Formats: sequence, structure tokens, C-alpha cells
Amino acid sequence: MTTIETEMLVIGSGAGGAVTAAMLAEAGHDVTIVEEGPHIEPGTMEPFSLEEMVTKYRHQGGSAALGNPPVAYAEGRCVGGSTEINSGLWHRLPAHFATEWQRRFRIDEFTPEALDGYAESVEQVLSVSRLPGAPPASSAVLENGATKLGWRSVEFTRAFRYDTGEGVKQTMGRTFLPRATAAGATIVADCRVQKLLRSGDRIIGVKASRTRPEGGTEPVTIMADHVFVCGGAIQSPALLQRSGIRRNIGNGLKLHPTIKIAARMPYALDHGDVAMHRVTEFSPDLAIGGSVGRRGHVALALAESGNEAGNDEALADWERFGIYYAAIRSEGSGRVLAVPGVASPVVTYRLTEGDMSKLTRGLVHLGELLLAAGATELYPSVVKGEVVRSTDELVQWWGSVTRARTNLMTIHITSSIRMGEARDLTGTDSYGAVWGLENLRVNDASLVPDAPGINPQATIMSIAARNTAQFLAGR
Amino acid sequence: MLWFERQVVRALAQDADPGQLAAIETYVDGALRAMPEHIRLGVAAESVALGGWSKVDGLRRRSGGAAPGPRLGPLESSPIGPVRQYVRLIKSLVIFAQHEQPEPSA
Repeated sequence: MTTIETEMLVIGSGAGGAVTAAMLAEAGHDVTIVEEGPHIEPGTMEPFSLEEMVTKYRHQGGSAALGNPPVAYAEGRCVGGSTEINSGLWHRLPAHFATEWQRRFRIDEFTPEALDGYAESVEQVLSVSRLPGAPPASSAVLENGATKLGWRSVEFTRAFRYDTGEGVKQTMGRTFLPRATAAGATIVADCRVQKLLRSGDRIIGVKASRTRPEGGTEPVTIMADHVFVCGGAIQSPALLQRSGIRRNIGNGLKLHPTIKIAARMPYALDHGDVAMHRVTEFSPDLAIGGSVGRRGHVALALAESGNEAGNDEALADWERFGIYYAAIRSEGSGRVLAVPGVASPVVTYRLTEGDMSKLTRGLVHLGELLLAAGATELYPSVVKGEVVRSTDELVQWWGSVTRARTNLMTIHITSSIRMGEARDLTGTDSYGAVWGLENLRVNDASLVPDAPGINPQATIMSIAARNTAQFLAGR
Repeated sequence: MLWFERQVVRALAQDADPGQLAAIETYVDGALRAMPEHIRLGVAAESVALGGWSKVDGLRRRSGGAAPGPRLGPLESSPIGPVRQYVRLIKSLVIFAQHEQPEPSA
């Protein structure tokens, strides 16, 4: 048994954990970061490849929220967390959500101006910027379609650096984690925290299990003065529940359910990146954007369609295909439930009839946009979904997005603990301190009070920076 | 990977050469092992139940001279949601592996 002693323990090294650890370490504290997944040297794997999925994704990407329909989701499980596998798109929280959440959840000092200040400091570290030059063809499809229809679209900023010619995503493994270690923090990878150790109203440490490089596992105990749980919106509530902390923990889960179309264009598209344009005409309830479209993704999309006879011909032309999505801000919600004796929590999500209606509308709007951009064939992510070649045919889709036939996924997962002074709704105070415990804080996507309708990384990191600054100021 | 799961993989990847098939089976096996326990348990239970159904169905069909192997068509269009999702799940793993496995080096 190995025992580690530290002043500040940060559990999880993703968007929330990395910011927390860097700020604590740079303020002179003794910091240990524990990450369940492995350390993978940045830049050593092809983005969105099968190898990356097997190595960096939790459950190799095979996670799903149970429900009717189920919603597949992806979480990173490596040093840097989901920032190592996402698109790096960056969008600050719209001011009206900050105002609405401040009122509804009674969150202290949660003004749009305050959050923007923290976002700005994070953006400097992440080199948040726009692509220099013209967008790639896959992204221009969205811009062109929106222009033709008179819809609003924007090119999103991204956490990318372009000074070496090729864009390099600024993940936590390239930014905040090196800052944390430069300031003296230690990262313990391949180490799964099983349970928090509690004494009265304090957490005194954690019980963990570390995978040895030569195989097998060893028990590890980490004693800490302060514990920050930053495992993401699925793992953080599960850890708290496993440790007997259950009040408003794990309920209120929010996703952005996403429905997709594989679109055949009259020309070849790029396939190594994610489109940086988004159509914001229907925001925040509905966002339209581009997804990664490698050969495997195109093959999956074609296989689901009702055009089995033409699939081989279409797949041979896969380089002209792009994958695009419509993501909704869901009215439904879900739960995370840790089951005793089982490592993985059970995740459930209930989509409302309103959500199904929004998804149908999203699919049809996305189809309109892609046809306006010049697409010649559209394959929806609906089982036996009709292949559409003209706007007249889009009417066929109005009845096809049923619970039995639609295939949904998401990478945006939030709100499973929630913060604020409204104790009937929240699991922590306005700064992530867990109710009833002196030295336990949550500082990740779990705290985001509701679905933001945009890529949540900027919101998660701004809140994490805000809460850590408050912690440091209060000591 | 359970017996029926392997049968389904082989039925879905019937055009693959032996090397590709082995790589696909290895990937699907790894993906099934990596799943959350409750989902893997549900899939395994279905594999056992559908494997039993398939054996009975196979015996009946062989007496009529039909080809061996599981019939996926009735499963894919089953009125029972989890049965449809079972085939969809394994099919998606097979398709993704078929098209994303790196080419074997010469």
C-alpha cells in the first residue's frame, strides 16, 4: 500500500481539474492531481482515430445514457480528460444564461461580467483564436448554406494555436497541466479514486487503486487537507455517491442530444478536423454544426439509412461526404446513479415529447441547409431513414424521428450536481463547496446549472477559474 | 465475446478476409469488454437468449436446406427495441472496425 500526503488533492485532470490545479499550484500550494486514465504524450495519436478512441475514451467510447431512445455519449479518460478528444471549439456562456441561472439557483457573484473576466484569463492561456485564412470546405458548407437561406452563422473561436503553420489544439495536456507541474504539482496517472475518506464533516483523503506499468493494481491512500472533485458530470457525482454523499447529487443531468446527417457534396471535403462554423439562427434551442467525418463515420451513417442497395456505391465516394449535426437544448433531464459493487455508474436520460419534436425540426432544418449548400444526397441518422435529394423530399422526415428509429449521441454532459444557494436544487454552494462538508469542493461540468446550448468547455473553465480564485481569496 | 456475438460478427463481416476478420473480432471483443458493466450484462443476456433462438431457428431452417448462421434480418426489424438495438450495436462496432482499422503493414 502506497500512501501519499498532499495539501490539495485534485481528482481529474480535464477542463475543470487542470485549471484548478494550475491556479492552486501557482499560488504556492502543494498540489497532487489524480487521473484515472493514462498519460499520452500530446500529438502522438491521430485525432478521432480508432487508436485514439481505444486509448483515450472511457469505455472505448461505448457509453450510453439509458432511456427511450438511449443517448450514446463520449468522455475522455486520460491525462487532460475530454479536452484531449473534443473539437476545441470555444464559446463563452451567453449573458442571458448567467443572469437566468444566477436568479434561479441563487448563485452569488455570477454576473456575465465576472464570468467574462475569468473566460478572458483562460483564453490567453489557451490561445483562443479564429482560423487564419479561409475555412476548410467542410466548414464552408455551413456558412454557404446559411448565407443562401438568410440564416445567421458564425465562425467559432477555438482553443488552437496556429503559429507553427498547422493548427494545434490547446488541450489541458499542452497548457494548464504543464503550468501546474512547472509550479510544483504532481500528476498521478492510471489511478482511480474509489472513495472519499470522511471524518465528521471533513474529507481527510481518498482510497484509490493505481495500475502498475508492469500490470496489476496496487492500493493507494492519499491524505489531503482539501479535496477538489473534477471528474466530470458523470464520474464526480458517482464518486460522491459512493462516498455516501447523496443530497442533490446525480440528478438534474443535462445533455445536448444530437441527430446527424451524412451529406454527399459535389466535391471532396476535408476529414481530419471538425467544422468551426455554426448556424445560430435557432439558438439556443437548436444548434447546427459539423462533426468529424472519417470513413468509418460515413460508413456507419450509410448503414443506418434506408438505401442499402446503394451503400457500396456511396461508400466508394466517401471523401465527398461530410457529417453534420443538429443539437438541441433538451427540456428533459437525467440521473447518475452509483450502484454498490459496480465500477461504472448507471446513467439514465429522459427525452420529452418536446425534445423529440425539436430533434425532428433540427433534422429538417439541417437538411434544408445542406441542400442549400449544394449537397446532392442526405442520409439521416435514423434507422431506415429515407435518403433525401431535394427540399421537396424533406417532408418524408417529419414522421421518421421516432423513439424507435432515431440514433442520438452527445459529447456535452453537465449539471449533475449544480451550484448555488438554492439548497433544494443544488449540491454545492455558489463556489462548488459541497453542502455539509468543510473541505470538499466540486469544480467541473457537474456545477453548470443547466444545459448552455453551446459547447460547454468555456463555461466549465470560467466557472472553475472563478471558484478557485474565490477559494484562494478566502484563505 | 460470447458464441452468438461471434456468430453475429462473422455474419456481418462475411466479406472480410481471415486477417481482417481476426482484427474485427479482436476490436469488437475489446469494445464489449470495455463497456460499462450494466450495459455489458444486458448485451450478454441478450446474446444468450438470442443464441438459443438462433439455434432452434437454425435447426428448423437446415431441415429445409437453408444456409447456416444467424438470420439478422428478423432481429433488425424486431418489434422489441432492445433486440433491434443489440444488432445495431454489434453492427456499428463491426462497420467502424472494418473502415477504421489501419491497413496491415506489408
